[in-house]
Amino acid sequence: MPREIITIQVGQCGNQIGMEFWKQLCLEHGIGKDGLLEDFATQGGDRKDVFFYQADDQHYIPRALLMDLEPRVINGIQNSEYRNLYNHENIFVSEHGGGAGNNWASGYHQGEQVVDDIMDMIDREADGSDSLEGFVLCHSIAGGTGSGMGSYLLETLNERYSKKLVQTYSVFPNQMETSDVVVQPYNSLLTLKRLTLNADCVVVLDNTALNRIAVERLHLANPTFAQTNSLVSTVMSASTTTLRYPGYMNNDLVGLLASLIPTPRCHFLMTGYTPLTVERQVNMIRKTTVLDVMRRLLQTKNIMVSSYARTKEASQAKYISILNIIQGDVDPTQVHESLQRIRERKLVNFIEWGPASIQVALSRKSPYVQTTHRVSGLMLANHTSIRHLFSKCLGQYEKLRKKQAFLDNYRKFPMFADNDLSEFDESRELIESLVDEYKACESPDYIKWGMEDQGDASVAAALDSKLVV
Amino acid sequence: MDSTPGTPRWNLERPFLTGRFHQEIKAPPHTTVSKPFSMDSFSRGTDNVIGSYPVSVQELLVIDDLLSALVGIEGRYISIKRVRGKEGHVIFQIDPSMDLALQELTQRIFPLCEDFVLISQFVESKSPFKNGLVNHAFAAALRALLLDYQAMVAQLEHQFRLGRLSVQGLWFYCQPMMGSLHALSIVVEKASSNNYSGSAMLNLLQSQAKAMAGDKAVWSLLEKMTQCASSAYLGILERWVYEGIIDDPYGEFFIVENKSLLKESLTRDYDTKYWQQRYSLKDGIPSFLTSVAGTILITGKYLNVMRECGHHVQVPLSENSKLTSFGTNHHYLECIKAAYDFASSELLNLIKDKFDLIGKLRSLKRYLLLDQGDFLVHFMDIARDELAKRLEDISVEKLQSLLDLALRSTAAASDPCHEDLTCCVERASLLKRLTTLKDLECVYPPHLNKPVPDSDDQPEPLSIMGLETFCLNYKVQWPLSLVISRKALTKYQLIFRFLFHCRHVNRQLCVAWQVHQGFRAFNTLGTPILRSSILCRSMLKFINSLLHYLTFEVLEPNWHLMHDRLRIAKSIDEVIQFHDFFLQKCLKECLLLLPQLLKKVEKLKSICLQYAAAIQLLIPSIYIPEPDAAVGSFKKDRSKPRRSQSRSQQLKLAAENSKICDSILKFEREFNAELQSLVPILSNSSQAEPYLTHLAQCILGVGSEQ
Repeated sequence: MPREIITIQVGQCGNQIGMEFWKQLCLEHGIGKDGLLEDFATQGGDRKDVFFYQADDQHYIPRALLMDLEPRVINGIQNSEYRNLYNHENIFVSEHGGGAGNNWASGYHQGEQVVDDIMDMIDREADGSDSLEGFVLCHSIAGGTGSGMGSYLLETLNERYSKKLVQTYSVFPNQMETSDVVVQPYNSLLTLKRLTLNADCVVVLDNTALNRIAVERLHLANPTFAQTNSLVSTVMSASTTTLRYPGYMNNDLVGLLASLIPTPRCHFLMTGYTPLTVERQVNMIRKTTVLDVMRRLLQTKNIMVSSYARTKEASQAKYISILNIIQGDVDPTQVHESLQRIRERKLVNFIEWGPASIQVALSRKSPYVQTTHRVSGLMLANHTSIRHLFSKCLGQYEKLRKKQAFLDNYRKFPMFADNDLSEFDESRELIESLVDEYKACESPDYIKWGMEDQGDASVAAALDSKLVV
Repeated sequence: MDSTPGTPRWNLERPFLTGRFHQEIKAPPHTTVSKPFSMDSFSRGTDNVIGSYPVSVQELLVIDDLLSALVGIEGRYISIKRVRGKEGHVIFQIDPSMDLALQELTQRIFPLCEDFVLISQFVESKSPFKNGLVNHAFAAALRALLLDYQAMVAQLEHQFRLGRLSVQGLWFYCQPMMGSLHALSIVVEKASSNNYSGSAMLNLLQSQAKAMAGDKAVWSLLEKMTQCASSAYLGILERWVYEGIIDDPYGEFFIVENKSLLKESLTRDYDTKYWQQRYSLKDGIPSFLTSVAGTILITGKYLNVMRECGHHVQVPLSENSKLTSFGTNHHYLECIKAAYDFASSELLNLIKDKFDLIGKLRSLKRYLLLDQGDFLVHFMDIARDELAKRLEDISVEKLQSLLDLALRSTAAASDPCHEDLTCCVERASLLKRLTTLKDLECVYPPHLNKPVPDSDDQPEPLSIMGLETFCLNYKVQWPLSLVISRKALTKYQLIFRFLFHCRHVNRQLCVAWQVHQGFRAFNTLGTPILRSSILCRSMLKFINSLLHYLTFEVLEPNWHLMHDRLRIAKSIDEVIQFHDFFLQKCLKECLLLLPQLLKKVEKLKSICLQYAAAIQLLIPSIYIPEPDAAVGSFKKDRSKPRRSQSRSQQLKLAAENSKICDSILKFEREFNAELQSLVPILSNSSQAEPYLTHLAQCILGVGSEQ
């Protein structure tokens, strides 16, 4: 089965959103809780094999690996009604079950310890597919397991499967609330480095924004994790629709990503989804047209990454690329009209150093999921304002680091042994350069950034000297 | 007419039984005067000239002779002469010695006799089978009339024997017949002099009837004759419009069947001759049918298609749907209309429902217009090597098996139509192929290509690859081949080839993109890598926008339009028309009919391909060892910053770097220049072709700039 994608969910958060994701996929493909295809779902014309494979008894098994260092969430899954969906060989829970104690270093170190077990599982899954396209990692960057073990996995995958794509759905911590994880800034920074270096694409899911959306858009007073997670699963499933319900374009992950990511490091994507509903909430039915949907997708309040930029900076932020995946019953002529309208109204501020416009992918909707809206849309966008999120992370890190707080927990592990904290510095430096690069993107001269000379011939010479990293 | 049966022998042997004897009247030699060929058995001493009798006796004698002459027999004083050169025409002559008043009266009656002879000769001469049904029917009607006429003569004779008939009486009684027979004789004369048959005969009758509309009696007689004559013709018509069968042994019907065109030819014949020419109208449509001739042709054609499908249909016949007459009430027109409505809706239902036309079109859209391109992704994955070969080295069988594999293992597997898909490798590049298709409306004038074989017009390098000529073929079965004809399929294929190549370029650029992704470990700001990734992005943007334009702005809206139209189409011809319109529009809007633009686009695509190939070769060869080393250093030697890595290596590479840099800049220049050169072309032609504005907006982002 061609172009398969293996999903790896690591840690508490990763497994929770992964769980929601698979629930959603099962619903959309008409696959029952036990993996058996529902009677009504035999003629879908969909591609289940990207994310599932069939066991000998024809039941569908997710290409998913569930990993955690503590058993709670995974036990929860194994006791849920979906327990028979997963391949039990694909579940890894650390033997001692103590978790990573919200410590990146612990997670990373433990990952290192069990690398053989984990890679065995991954290799087995990879061998079971015809032409593996890549991996999707679900995790959070704040805790210990998802961030630490996730980081280790990213490095290993990158090394062992250098030709395969790695995409992550990374949940960024809520910056507004004081977290119970005080070392969150450390963990985030260290994970961000791996996300920059070892992933082809990172879909940033900002818990701050998810909460805000849940409160503001869905009118939930105190959104639960389950509710914010369902937002995540909506985004994840929507961003894979073009793979699962093939259309004219974007039928493979690489095509999808290549159009969004201009330069190797600028691969952090924001998402937006509209119209949003949570279960049992159907009283807010709106009229949806393509233009409505596209317009709403461009509103910051619908974007699942909070903007930390100050007003002046925000006005300079630019879209590098946008892909709108429009699902549902769409008259294709509306697409052109909507794009035209958006262009006329100058609703989008694009980068100036290259051609840019909103790309649209029309996708079919699952016939088995009844929605109250005719049209729904997901936006995947590469936007320079993401740098403010990184800056925020950096800022919090600096604050903590200045106080030399909580570093002892890290020194216990080999990477930071002998008080060697260069990893922190290196990470900080890298994230700073990432922020710089995104900042450079806002300038029309990005393409010649750092080149003193404008003449083409001398540019070549100038380039050489810059090659040194 | 080899097949027509011959005339039975008795018809020839017994002239008096059939009336043929009239034709055998010998033309008397000039000189011999009134030695009439007498067949009178009871001739009584005829030597006396009639003038020697008293007038009253003369009258009796001449009445006796006249009664014979009325049925075409010579009398003692009335002789018959053939008119030379005029077939069937005779002249009656009377003994000049007769009383002048009597002569005058008698001669007034002669035209009736002449008409009778003329008509009865016509009846005889048209009776043989070869003259066709219309003539038979007309002759039969005439014969019936002649019988009435003969009865009249017999009655007159009876009156004569009773001694109650004078010449004046005879003259009086003949009056009604005079007019009728005279009118008919005109018809007959025209018919036989022109040797009319079939619809020409009907037309003649009708126009004659119209011409005589002032004479009520004659008019109604001619109308009646027309009815009689056309009844057989209407029978043929009835079978055609109700059953789709041509039952026309004498070739009188206005629709001819060309049996040499077989329905199987539709899948090969580019011009769809079968549908256009298998049944066609010929000259001589009866005037009362000219306005509906097209409808009649189509009705039968439709019925015929259904019969060819093994689907037996018969237009439901009720009492009043019999095509008995074509009188002024136009009932027959309603019948034909009803039959047409029935046939077209029945055929449409058959094609739509039983043969699932929409489903087939959907599957064509899926495979040839790449509506669901997942199978293509897989196919391009597994057939990459085969397609990269040169034309002559490609094994079509292998491609076919790979295609089957790709179809089976993707979403296409659930579609039963995927088995109709075959692949083929054409010989010529897309541009060249377009020039060879003549009737794509205007555009590729062949002379433009021949005398200017310079520079970029020398398109066929020997190394043309499979990727450029790969094409899918689709097996279309009768009767869907009516709609999806060879020509339609060719158009689909042209679009497919264009899309396929765009997708190929897109893939290659994606591979190039992935090569760049290996450089995450570096800060690429200010390096050729950055420049190259941005160029790669521009190219991807271009090809994606082009694909977006082709699919979402051209194919999809047009398909929707066609789909909606097909739903309300009332006949198969409408369906064909809508489908052809769709294809033509797509072809045009996909730039395939704009050679100037298409060449530019092809040029841009080839730059993209060259770039992608160059990047895949150049960059890894130089840079890859480096990040590898960097990654390797992670594990063991983490504390050492990578910055301290061998400077010497960097220096060594510097020379090669500048080479890469040069070529990247060269590609950049070339690509941008080519892209910019599209701007004037697009803006110039977009006034004539508004869809080009869409294209311009897509690929150039025109309008988004301040």
